Amino acid sequence: MDAGAATQPLPVTDFSRAHAFARGELVREASGGDLDAFEELVRRLQRRVYGFAFQHLRDPHEAHDLTQEIFVKLFRNLGRYDSERPFEPWFWKLATNTTINYRRKRVPLPSEPGEEAADPGATPQAHDPALVEALAQLDPSYRVPVLLHYYADLSLEQVAAALSLSVPAVKSRLHRARGVLRNSLADAEELGQP
Amino acid sequence: MISCPRVRVLLEAYADGDLAADDAARVRAHLSTCADCRRQHDQAISLPFRLRALSSPAPRASLVGDVMRAVGAERARYRRSWTLLVPEAVLAAFILWYLSGFDGLSSIASGVFGDLLSLGSGSLPHLPPVDVVLLVALIALVVVAAFHLSILVRLAAARPAHE
Repeated sequence: MDAGAATQPLPVTDFSRAHAFARGELVREASGGDLDAFEELVRRLQRRVYGFAFQHLRDPHEAHDLTQEIFVKLFRNLGRYDSERPFEPWFWKLATNTTINYRRKRVPLPSEPGEEAADPGATPQAHDPALVEALAQLDPSYRVPVLLHYYADLSLEQVAAALSLSVPAVKSRLHRARGVLRNSLADAEELGQP
Repeated sequence: MISCPRVRVLLEAYADGDLAADDAARVRAHLSTCADCRRQHDQAISLPFRLRALSSPAPRASLVGDVMRAVGAERARYRRSWTLLVPEAVLAAFILWYLSGFDGLSSIASGVFGDLLSLGSGSLPHLPPVDVVLLVALIALVVVAAFHLSILVRLAAARPAHE
């Protein structure tokens, strides 16, 4: 991980263009074959997508790979996007499926102590480590809706569309997930107390 | 009276205002008398804010460039798949040239008929060299076309948009 790059603000090469297009117009242009529009779309989505991937995998290298895979999948599938429908749920459905498949196809890598020792700051320190740890322990079927709703900031309806679930089912998963997180945090607090 | 374990199962729905009025009233009454559950309720209320406040490192500065390079390679791969049309077209042109006109077709038909007759008489059929070339060209065309088709089928599943 390029630790320096992680703290640098993102370069915005064409600022005026970035603000000249509404998201819908950008998507339409990108799906029409405009590579500049696609690049701008990637630029706009990259923080949320990378954050989602990072919270899911908790590894900057893997998160980078997964983010790249999500965007390549987006490029491949843009032609199938129906511009009459909202982009966000469609995109996050694609991102979620890619994430689930990425997880499935990953073979656990052998630990590389030499690399870790050489780069101790590769995984940045979380500001809420207890919550990050509890989130990591959560079953992916609960973690994904939590990340989509609270982290990627999708509405309940958008999460439901992205996961092909009903809104009550999403609510139920979120309640259940938060209950599990709350119990994990209480356990961690008890263990942490002398 | 509602029990502590039952209240704790309902806390998130209660915090979101998703409980039926009578259930919500029961939870509220319990919370007014149970300090442990009240602490849990405070956690339940603060958790969505903590989740929203989770921070991640910024993506690498090279991310957009990496994505665009991968996308460029994908487009190039797709374009390359069409270059197989060149040998296919050459082979097809050769075969069409050979078969062009009625004379070519009738000579093949009479050649095949003669070969069949000679099979019946027990002697080996005579194959004109040009027929052998034609046969080889046909086989090559089928192989190249099948290979091409397999590439196109693979790409169709992951076809770049707007190519």
